[in-house]
Amino acid sequence: MRKVAIVGGGGTKCGKRDANWRELVQEAGKTMFDNIDNLSPKDVEALLVGAAQPERFTFQVHVAPMVAEHLGITPRKVIATTELMCASGQAAIRYAWACVASGMADVAVAFGVEKMFMPDMSEAQTNMTCVLDREWDGVNAMSAPPFFAMTAQRHMHEFGTTKEQMALVSVKNHHYSTMNPLAQFQKEVTVEKVLQSPMVAPPLNLFDCSGITDGAAGVVLVPAEHAKRYTDTPMHIIGSGQVSIGNAINNLASIAEWVPLRMAVKEACTTAKITLKDIDIAELHDCFTISEILEYEAFGWCEKGEGGKFIEEGEPYVGGKIAVNPRGGLLGSGHPLGATAILQTLDIFQQFRGEVPKGRYVSGAKTAVAHNLSGAANVHSLIIYSRD
Amino acid sequence: MGNKQFEKIRRPENIKLPYMLDFYPLEDEKNTRISKFFENLKEDRFTSTKCKACGKLLWPPRIVCSSCLSDNLEWVDLGVEGELYAFSEMRGGAPLGFAQDLPFCIGLVKIGGLLISARIDNARYEDLKIGEKVKLKIVELEDGRIFYRFQRID
Ligand SMILES: [Zn+2]
Repeated sequence: MRKVAIVGGGGTKCGKRDANWRELVQEAGKTMFDNIDNLSPKDVEALLVGAAQPERFTFQVHVAPMVAEHLGITPRKVIATTELMCASGQAAIRYAWACVASGMADVAVAFGVEKMFMPDMSEAQTNMTCVLDREWDGVNAMSAPPFFAMTAQRHMHEFGTTKEQMALVSVKNHHYSTMNPLAQFQKEVTVEKVLQSPMVAPPLNLFDCSGITDGAAGVVLVPAEHAKRYTDTPMHIIGSGQVSIGNAINNLASIAEWVPLRMAVKEACTTAKITLKDIDIAELHDCFTISEILEYEAFGWCEKGEGGKFIEEGEPYVGGKIAVNPRGGLLGSGHPLGATAILQTLDIFQQFRGEVPKGRYVSGAKTAVAHNLSGAANVHSLIIYSRD
Repeated sequence: MGNKQFEKIRRPENIKLPYMLDFYPLEDEKNTRISKFFENLKEDRFTSTKCKACGKLLWPPRIVCSSCLSDNLEWVDLGVEGELYAFSEMRGGAPLGFAQDLPFCIGLVKIGGLLISARIDNARYEDLKIGEKVKLKIVELEDGRIFYRFQRID
C-alpha cells in the first residue's frame, strides 16, 4: 500500500444557492483546479463522486460522468458515484484513497455535491425519510429529526443531559462558522436564541438541527511521493475506521450510546498508530446538537453520559481539551450531504497550512480526525489526517 | 417578452401517487414473501418471523435469518401491548402524504422483545411518558392495504 497525500481542493459557498446542481459542480471544480499548481483535469485517472440522492433532489442519475464531463475529466482507471447518505463524501474519499494506495491510479479526485433546496420542500423531506428502513421506519415518518429527537430524549432521561447543554453545541459551532466564508450560517446564536427557535421535533428546536444546504467541493489525492509536484504542504491519510451495525431501528446496537463509533475510533487510532491524545482537531458530524455530545463520549474524551458537562466546561473549544468543529460543523456550515465530508477535509487541509482566521485556528495542529455518521447513527466513518 | 405568444403545452394537473413516493409497502403475495404479516395483522395479530434453527427473533419480518442464514423461519405473536421507550412529535417538515396529519407523535415501542418505530395515535407529545403502555391499532389505506400503529391507552 502506498502512502496517500491530499494536495489541495476547493469548495463552493454553502447555503440556499441561486444555482442548480451542475453549476455547483462547475463552481467547486473550477476552484479545486485553480487552487492546485501543475494539475490539469486531463491528469485525473480516478473520479469518485459522493452524492447522496441526486436522483431525488435533481432527478438525475449517472452523475459521476456528468461531473467528469463538466470539468473536462476523462478518467481511465475508475469512475463511480458513492452513496452512503450523509457520509457519501467520505465514501468518495475512501475509494479515492484505495485507488491511489493500491497503485491503481496516480491522481484521484474525491468530489461531493448536493443540491437540496427544491421549489417544494416537502419533496426534500420525503427524500430524507427513506434513509432508515423505508417500509418499516420511514413509513412512520421516521426521518432524522424525530430519530435524533428520541436519541436526545433518551440521553436526557438516562444521564440528565439538558437542553441548555445541547444548545451550547449550536452556540459554539455557529461561533466558528462566522469565521468560515464557505459556511451557510454567518451569525452567532445564543443559548436563549436556540431554546426560543421553533420546535421541530421535541426536544429539538430548529437551531439544534443542521440545515438543508446546497454545496459542492472536491479534493485531489496522489501518492505521497508525488505530492511535492503539486504543493509544499500536503497532508496525509494515516488511518481510518468504518463500522456499520444494523439499519432498521430494532437492529441498532443502542440508542443513547454510539457503539459503532466507539469501535471505529479504536480501529482508526490503531491503524494510524496514534492515541486519542495525539488528535488536535476533530471535525465531527454534528447533524444535531445531541450528535456532538454523543461523539465526545464515544471518542472517549469524556465518560459515557458526561458529554453535556464536557461542553459546559468549555472542553471542545479551540484551546480546550480538543478543538471540535473549528470549521463551524454541520450546524454552522450547513450539510450538503455528499459534499460535507469533502468540506471537512478541505478545512483540515487549510488548518494544517495556517490558512484559516485566527479565531478558529488550531495553532501547531499535526493530527486531525474527520468523522461522518449516516442513517440512524448505525454507520460511522472516520479518517485520520496528518500534517506530516 | 410581453406580447409574445407561445404554444401552450399541457400536462395533467393531478397525477396518481407514484409507488416510488408511497412509503407503505406492497403487501400481497404477488409482491412480497412476508404477506403473512399483513394477513395476521388483519386478524389483530402483531407477528414477526423467528428462526427455528437458532432461535433469533427477527424484525422486520424476513425470509432468511440474518443471524445464521437459515430459511427455516416461523411466525410468532409479539403481543398487542407494548411499552413506550422514546417518542417525539412531528410539528412540521412532513414528507409528502403526511402533512394533513400534523402534528403527530412517533415513538419507539418495546414489544415482544423488539424495539420498533411506530406512529403513536391518540396523544400529543405533552401527554406521553417514557415507559407508558401503548396498544396496537390497525389502519387501512384507501386501496385496502393495512398497517400498524400504536395508541395511548386512556
Ligand atoms: Zn437463525
